[in-house]
Amino acid sequence: MTKKMYRNITIVSFIIGFMLAVQYNTVQNPTERDTRDIWEIRQELSEEKKRHSELLSSINALSSTVNKYEDDEFDNPELLLQETVNDLKKQAGLLPISGPGVTLTIEPSQELIQFGYELKPISPDLLIRLTNDLYRNNAQAIEIDEKRLTYNSAIRDINGKTTINSEPIKKINFEINIIMQTYEQAQKLANHLLASSFQDEFFIDNLMLTVYDAEQNVRINSTVELQQSKYLVDK
Amino acid sequence: MWLPLLGLIFGVMLGVLTDIQIPSVYENYLSIAVLAALDTMFGGIRAQLQQVYDDKVFISGFFFNILLAAGLAFLGVHIGVDLYLAAIFAFGVRLFQNIAVIRRILLTKLDNRRLKKSENS
Repeated sequence: MTKKMYRNITIVSFIIGFMLAVQYNTVQNPTERDTRDIWEIRQELSEEKKRHSELLSSINALSSTVNKYEDDEFDNPELLLQETVNDLKKQAGLLPISGPGVTLTIEPSQELIQFGYELKPISPDLLIRLTNDLYRNNAQAIEIDEKRLTYNSAIRDINGKTTINSEPIKKINFEINIIMQTYEQAQKLANHLLASSFQDEFFIDNLMLTVYDAEQNVRINSTVELQQSKYLVDK
Repeated sequence: MWLPLLGLIFGVMLGVLTDIQIPSVYENYLSIAVLAALDTMFGGIRAQLQQVYDDKVFISGFFFNILLAAGLAFLGVHIGVDLYLAAIFAFGVRLFQNIAVIRRILLTKLDNRRLKKSENS
């Protein structure tokens, strides 16, 4: 009698446990319904296609490097290594880089100066917003007031001064240089900036953002210094 | 004694690991079924403690209560009256009553045991 009872209660508690777990699953992660229509899916597909072709081209570049390495007839591997190192240095911001790009200038707006408004330096928030937008539009390298932005650059407020890489922006009017992959992209970026609300947003801060036409050759100097240990240098 | 608890843990594990989800439309039914099942189980434990446990009553009560609760909820959805509230109310009240009775029986048993111990010593 008791054995049977225990068996029944066990079965019932098993069912209860299962139901509880299913209910928990359902409440915790509700299944998301796919409500996209065909055009949204096509758009997403085209974006993925674009990414695909970008990846393919970078694979192509890398495999050509690998081929060069594997080429036995190529008798100067040092040169090739140097090339790779230079490429990496350019990416890390240690070497100057030039290419098609856009130049922007930021200066206080003239009419406000004449009316005696107080001139404030640019706020880090606005600058971060601008750089994010530039990177979103495939900017390869950015330089703000001769300070190169790298992967670990920080734009922030230190004691009321806007700094980049911990160096303050000294001037009220300064230049922003942007290098893009192709001239077409540079033109596109310039048009995008002209059409965007950035000029209005800068004007709210009493600043004027001027977007110049895309240029074939914009140069960005490297201002990043390699941090080397002094103790390892040969004497 | 530990077998029912083991069953419960096993059930929860199976449910969590298989990651089964039900459509959100049926969520109400399942929640009410869980409540009915809990009510039946506590009812069963109470009956066992009061020595009036009957297998047939227990098993039939389990399935019948679940079906009735789900059926009431279903009917409620279709006639536009929140009938599942009735089921939640009924099962909720019974659940509390059952647990209160179980607690009292256990307390009485504990008291009796203490009395016996003090008499022996």
